[in-house]
Amino acid sequence: MSKQKLPILESEYNIRPARILKVRQLTLTEKLYEIGFPNGESLNHDPGQFVEVSIFGVGEAPISLASSPTRRGSFDLCVRNVGKVTAALHQLKAGDSIGIRGPFGRGFPVQEFVGNDLLIVAGGIGLVPLRSLIHYVLDNRREFGKVTILLGCRTPQNILFSDEIETWSSRLDLSFSCTVDKADPEWKGNVGVIASLIPGITLSRHTYAVVVGPPVMYRYVIAELLLKKIPAHRIILSLERHMKCGLGKCGHCQINNLYCCQDGPVFRYEQLRDLEEAFPR
Amino acid sequence: MKPRIAFFDFACCEGCQLQVANLGEALLDVLKLVDVVEFREVMSEKWAGPLDIAVVEGSITTKEAVERIEKIRARSRILIAYGSCATIGGVNGMKNRSPLEEIRRTVYGEHAHTFPTIATRPVDQVVKVDYYVHGCPIWPPEFIEVLQAALQGVPCFPPDHAVCVECKLNENVCLYDKGVTCLGPVTRAGCNSWCTNNGNICYGCRGLVSNPNTKGAMDVLARYRIPLELVLNKMSMYNACREQGKTP
Amino acid sequence: MRYVTIPADKMADYITALARRQKVVAPVEKGKGQFAFEPISEGREATLTYIPTILPPKKFFMPQYETLLEYDLHEGQKMQAVVELEEMVLFGVHTCDLAGIACLNTVFSDRPKDLNYLIRKNKIVIIGLECVAYCDEYASCALMNNHLPNGGYDLFLTPLGDRYIGHVNTYIGDSLVEEGGFFRDATGADFAALEEVRRRKREVFHDEVPIDLDEIPRIFAHSLRTTIWKEIGDRCLSCGNCTNVCPTCYCFDIVDKPNLDLKSGRRIRVWDSCQNERFAKIAGGESFRKERSSRKRHRFFRKFRYPVDRFGKFFCTGCGRCSRTCMARINLKETLAQLAREYV
Repeated sequence: MSKQKLPILESEYNIRPARILKVRQLTLTEKLYEIGFPNGESLNHDPGQFVEVSIFGVGEAPISLASSPTRRGSFDLCVRNVGKVTAALHQLKAGDSIGIRGPFGRGFPVQEFVGNDLLIVAGGIGLVPLRSLIHYVLDNRREFGKVTILLGCRTPQNILFSDEIETWSSRLDLSFSCTVDKADPEWKGNVGVIASLIPGITLSRHTYAVVVGPPVMYRYVIAELLLKKIPAHRIILSLERHMKCGLGKCGHCQINNLYCCQDGPVFRYEQLRDLEEAFPR
Repeated sequence: MKPRIAFFDFACCEGCQLQVANLGEALLDVLKLVDVVEFREVMSEKWAGPLDIAVVEGSITTKEAVERIEKIRARSRILIAYGSCATIGGVNGMKNRSPLEEIRRTVYGEHAHTFPTIATRPVDQVVKVDYYVHGCPIWPPEFIEVLQAALQGVPCFPPDHAVCVECKLNENVCLYDKGVTCLGPVTRAGCNSWCTNNGNICYGCRGLVSNPNTKGAMDVLARYRIPLELVLNKMSMYNACREQGKTP
Repeated sequence: MRYVTIPADKMADYITALARRQKVVAPVEKGKGQFAFEPISEGREATLTYIPTILPPKKFFMPQYETLLEYDLHEGQKMQAVVELEEMVLFGVHTCDLAGIACLNTVFSDRPKDLNYLIRKNKIVIIGLECVAYCDEYASCALMNNHLPNGGYDLFLTPLGDRYIGHVNTYIGDSLVEEGGFFRDATGADFAALEEVRRRKREVFHDEVPIDLDEIPRIFAHSLRTTIWKEIGDRCLSCGNCTNVCPTCYCFDIVDKPNLDLKSGRRIRVWDSCQNERFAKIAGGESFRKERSSRKRHRFFRKFRYPVDRFGKFFCTGCGRCSRTCMARINLKETLAQLAREYV
């Protein structure tokens, strides 16, 4: 018998064909995509999970889900144009086809958050996975205590979802503050790194902090949170790695003995505290 | 309309053009995707208008070449540098190892003054390069891969690991075990270890990896009793232009 | 439990007979004292006394390049997930490599299961071959308890001088020894000879590193910040040889290979290595194992610590390939001994 090629129906590498329903340019480098499956099925993800987006001929890339599963029938992906697949995605329009694998990984422990206060700390593009949580919390608002959102960005031009942010800051059932590293003449808000917003806020003893941002941000923010006496198991983080397979096999996303794609991307600081590879050195 | 593509050559042996011309059946398929408007080695037509893709072979070694490449860049949406001469300076870089005047006199003798020349530069030290196809000559499958990426409008990054990786995947006996010097451990992969598969050594024609362990490499040479001089010589065969600027 | 014997001078004929009927892959000499598993058509092409091959047999279970999916975009998004496979007899696998295959089986059977691997592996028949002497000074198979057979084969051959004794482990193994009447059932004298080989082997094969295997996970738990990683990281060229030749390294990349029409093509997986510069890089450009020392440490932890936590077993087989292939002479046995010394 010579070499054979047999079809596998149940392969983990099969993709679900999906369609771009809407595209919105958020900043110079980020676009928001609303994605739907042909039969209107929902993705049924947890806030904080990710999918592998496939463009045949270009490849796959792991992308965080940006919408809440409470919204049925479609989901959002926010994509920064930084690599091969994201460059191809940025050329696509409403009506174009893509492929989806997943959702993968562990999302935010929203059931554990029920009945507690939430401090959501978003740095830059870290707002994308947190948007899935914020939407979820707002859709189930009575389940949660006090909700505080802190957002940090490099410049006012980098701020994602500015229209939504406006709504958030005017809502009475959540507290929202924003800071930029570098202001422009029109900017009237805070200037400085995001960690500098933390000392000024009052937190209850039943607060969970949820932090997502660029790798360099974590150490500073966590140090402030610990000063606020938030225990390590109540500090929830989502880490970025290049998950190639999403199946805990390919090795790319490994953080010491943890696989970001299966054990994460959402972790407790307690799990990461002693891991050499969790944060930049 | 199909994207307009043109092939240009500067200081080189035109061997990389030959590689493209020799693609055979694959070339016919490639041609279905593009409209070749200028390609000196295979056609006589010229094209002076705007281009979607300029494919540039050779190093920049004269003032006229600087002007010409700047003009090509100005009318091209995408520029692909292909072949070592264009991507890293290649063998032309050896010129930079001696003073220009001396080199001119050695090559052109008493007529030296009629051949003005400047130091060798890879294309990206003169104009912006969008894609790179390393190699002397180029490895044809990689050329196709880069061209596909250019047509898809997505970036294409050449590998940043050693030729050893591909050589090992091809299960070759290591040349160091045969007592031969090989630049595989510090040279950027992407050629499917073409030379070592065929019993030759790696000459480093694709340029060095971005983060070579120079000290470690020296120790290895000493362990195998290979004179440093020999390796530096081999290294500068293709990589003499490296000091002048970073190559991706 | 069936044992059989075959005269040593009939072995080449037996392999030839096997190769007449199906694809046979066996160790073949490549020069400079090196070997590779390659397809053969005649028994004499195979070398039955060999040191570990350049690449381990993992290349048949998890090929260097493997198609996962084929797609066609001419009308919508058509795709088909596929497995590439080939029935073959893998002849002459040493116990260290049997252990390596067992490790890969563990990984790819773990949920979510990897069907490409699992379907392919069942098409490969394995004939093991015992080493009666050490291959060279790089091996640490006795330390890792892999110098004696622990299953994982259809038929296992042990040289007894003028003959081989074969342990038939499966139905497939049973059919293998029916081939052409080369084998007869083993007798008391054969068993006595096998016992004698094993007795002598236990005398020769000792823990190659003065370290207690059970202590290793604990030693590694204390070794995260040792300067040993910096020392070997400084020497490492990041050539990736150590991981590519490792029988239990299985990291991979997934890439698309479009056809020339750009409308159809394949999604493939290709071996990758944690030693490669971009392996732990993210889209933002940050690499989480930028230093060579951290990459070296990662490789060792993926052999001696993480898989112990995850799968309850070591992922070092003691085959010695990583040390044998390393131009910088980074030696696994020495590193283990160094770590043990520091721990004490």
